[in-house]
Amino acid sequence: MSGGLLQIHDPLKPKGQAVGIDLGTTNSLVAAVVNGVPRCLPVDEQGGTLLPSVVHYATEGGVVVGARARAQAADFPTSTLASVKRFMGKGRGDAETQKLGSYRFTEGVGDVVRFEVAGGAPVTPIEVSAEILRTLKRRAEAFFSTKVEQAVITVPAYFDDAQRQATKDAGRLAGLDVLRLLNEPTAAALAYGLDKGSQGTFAVYDLGGGTFDVSILHLVDGVFQVKSTGGNSALGGDDFDRAIAEEVLGAQKLTAPTPGQVTTLLAAARAAKEALTTAQSTTLSVEGYRTEISRAQLEAWIAPWVEKTGPVCRRALKDAGLKAAELDGVILVGGATRVPAVRRYVEKLFGRAPLGDIDPDQVVALGAAVQADLLTNAQRQDEVLLLDVIPLSLGLETMGGVAEKLIPRNTTVPTAAAQVFTTFQDGQTAIDIHVVQGERELVADCRSLARFRLSGLPPLAAGMTRVEVRFEVNADGLLSVSAREEASGAIQSISVKPTHGLTDEQVEQMLLDSIEHAEADMHARQLAEQRVEAQRILADASKQLRENGDLLQAQERSGLEGAMALVQSLSAEDDADTLREAIHALDEKAKPFIELVMNRAMTRALAGHSVEQP
Amino acid sequence: MQCWNCKTETSPGILSCPRCGKVQPLEAGATFFDAFGLKPTVDVDLPGLERAYRERSLQVHPDRFSTAQARERRFALEQSTLLNDAYRTLKDRAARAFYVLKLNGLDLSREDAGTQKDMPLSFLEEVMELREALDGHRQRGTLEKALEMAGEVSVRRSTALADAEASLRQLLAHLDDNSARSAASHALARVRYFTRFLEEVNAMEEEALEG
Repeated sequence: MSGGLLQIHDPLKPKGQAVGIDLGTTNSLVAAVVNGVPRCLPVDEQGGTLLPSVVHYATEGGVVVGARARAQAADFPTSTLASVKRFMGKGRGDAETQKLGSYRFTEGVGDVVRFEVAGGAPVTPIEVSAEILRTLKRRAEAFFSTKVEQAVITVPAYFDDAQRQATKDAGRLAGLDVLRLLNEPTAAALAYGLDKGSQGTFAVYDLGGGTFDVSILHLVDGVFQVKSTGGNSALGGDDFDRAIAEEVLGAQKLTAPTPGQVTTLLAAARAAKEALTTAQSTTLSVEGYRTEISRAQLEAWIAPWVEKTGPVCRRALKDAGLKAAELDGVILVGGATRVPAVRRYVEKLFGRAPLGDIDPDQVVALGAAVQADLLTNAQRQDEVLLLDVIPLSLGLETMGGVAEKLIPRNTTVPTAAAQVFTTFQDGQTAIDIHVVQGERELVADCRSLARFRLSGLPPLAAGMTRVEVRFEVNADGLLSVSAREEASGAIQSISVKPTHGLTDEQVEQMLLDSIEHAEADMHARQLAEQRVEAQRILADASKQLRENGDLLQAQERSGLEGAMALVQSLSAEDDADTLREAIHALDEKAKPFIELVMNRAMTRALAGHSVEQP
Repeated sequence: MQCWNCKTETSPGILSCPRCGKVQPLEAGATFFDAFGLKPTVDVDLPGLERAYRERSLQVHPDRFSTAQARERRFALEQSTLLNDAYRTLKDRAARAFYVLKLNGLDLSREDAGTQKDMPLSFLEEVMELREALDGHRQRGTLEKALEMAGEVSVRRSTALADAEASLRQLLAHLDDNSARSAASHALARVRYFTRFLEEVNAMEEEALEG
């Protein structure tokens, strides 16, 4: 573990090691800059760096994350949650919840997506993601032998405000100070840019498990300026798996598969897709059903999904004011870009062979680690700067349900904009404000971010009261809104909490609960440790009593046996502190006896020694 | 002017204190030109502006202050926000011209600017004509014809923008020249109309791309 000591004693890192986290749909990774080089950290016993983004909620309580969770998927399909990133910041009944899958969504009130799982209350995608983040945090802490509290977490560039807020909340819930939400394509460019010291204009084509992003970046003199970004936060390799699965279901004439069948089938579909990256054909076998799938078949099935990325790329180029031929390179990111049909499509789209020399699974995490280092390491802050943009226009609802854009898409952040509203009725004392995000003309077609009411306005004639609403977007791309009544100057600040998100109070409560759980966890661990210690000391004492019991007076012996019986009985109870005291008492009682035993052993040894003397 | 941190006397408009290096608060009423240390002008050297934008971003971007105290972080956010908004406006010829006019007392983005009322009748006739032709192309789905129109309209837009810039140069030289101000305002109203027209064609094209 080279560099560990250096990291601990670096005075610039008072909060321990800062890490970069790629919180992916399919897999998650944690990376850090170690001795000046970004690297992905091991997350399992085999030294692998991919933690499957799967969380299993056990029937008897308790949470398992990663490969071990995925192994439970077939037996516990609804309590083993995969691909939850697709539901971040989404409301119940969102189109994402209608797709083929083995999730069990809660019925009832409330706006946030919740999954029914075994062993406890329903969980939100934020809590599930927090479990993944917590696991990555612990693995990084084990690697560095120091605490890890600061992280850069990557998000798809096309994530809207609600999805970003949900990701930040998940980080907070996992006990992380989220230094920055970094757009995934930008992270990838950072990993490439620093690696190659390149200058020029690049397109990053990022097709992950559940999201698609494209960004056009301009690199010059250490400044990475994002020119435009586009994407689809509901398109990815998962759709390829479902396309295969749906073909198989159709062939089997299975119209109402059980959640278990769906999980098994989706896993088999993914395996087939992966096999067809190198092979021309493969056998998909599931529950006694076997079928041969050729690469050509796969390509025909997934073509509609792959082709959805074309217009998005063309629009991003147009927004950047560029032609494909003016690019200096195209970077591939995300596991789904391993599919040969995707590579061919990208090559045709941009008219050049894409770069893929950094592992497309790792490149985002590596870039995030670089950014975490840049943010926490004062010596490096002059080297590189990222200038990122908001992916979707931010606006307000105006008369007639029309969305008026205040900040257009692809505006560099941080940024701000203001709009003046006037009252339209005599004596009106309140104005309703509806914040929306999206490109469409009508509010109904945009994403609703927040609604609030400005009240307490002076009752004046219509049009006389003027209220300035100000949008501010920080470097994370997160929006806050304030409003000022012009005459009085009274300011109302509103932190925009997304309609489909959690309130600050809910996040606080979850944090408190998790701290309580952490205490319970710690107690359980201490108890287990004391029990092990009790077994060890009891075994030891019994052995000595058996072999050297004759050294003790009857009274001494019964005293010792009493202390042993107490440890034995407390071992069966749940009080770690009392058990520790009993162990200590037994230890003290045994000391004179152990001394006698030692003396005897010594005497025997010396005696033996003397016998052997010539 | 005094540095908030070390109390050194500083000159107005600086980003960070020359002595202690701390980012300074934004001056009240700082303009987009102030953000680059420029005098108001319609003639901006674009490569120079881009270079200055990079250099100044490196100085004040919030990423450089993630471990600084809250006060300096807030100043960095404010400075960086102004810098981004200023760069976006000044790098674009039309946006820059609208901004120069706004600084000189006429904000065409406000609904109550009243510029439509005193536009010459000939312009209103031109607008009607263009609108009818575009609606026709939209209904018939003849995108190529709409794109042809767009090519011609963008020539008209460039001419109007050049007219506006000429008037604004005159206005900046003589700030009380009201006829230059109203000539600039009329030319920019034309620019704005032509821009909206081009955006509509653009939206048609995008629909065709995605549909």
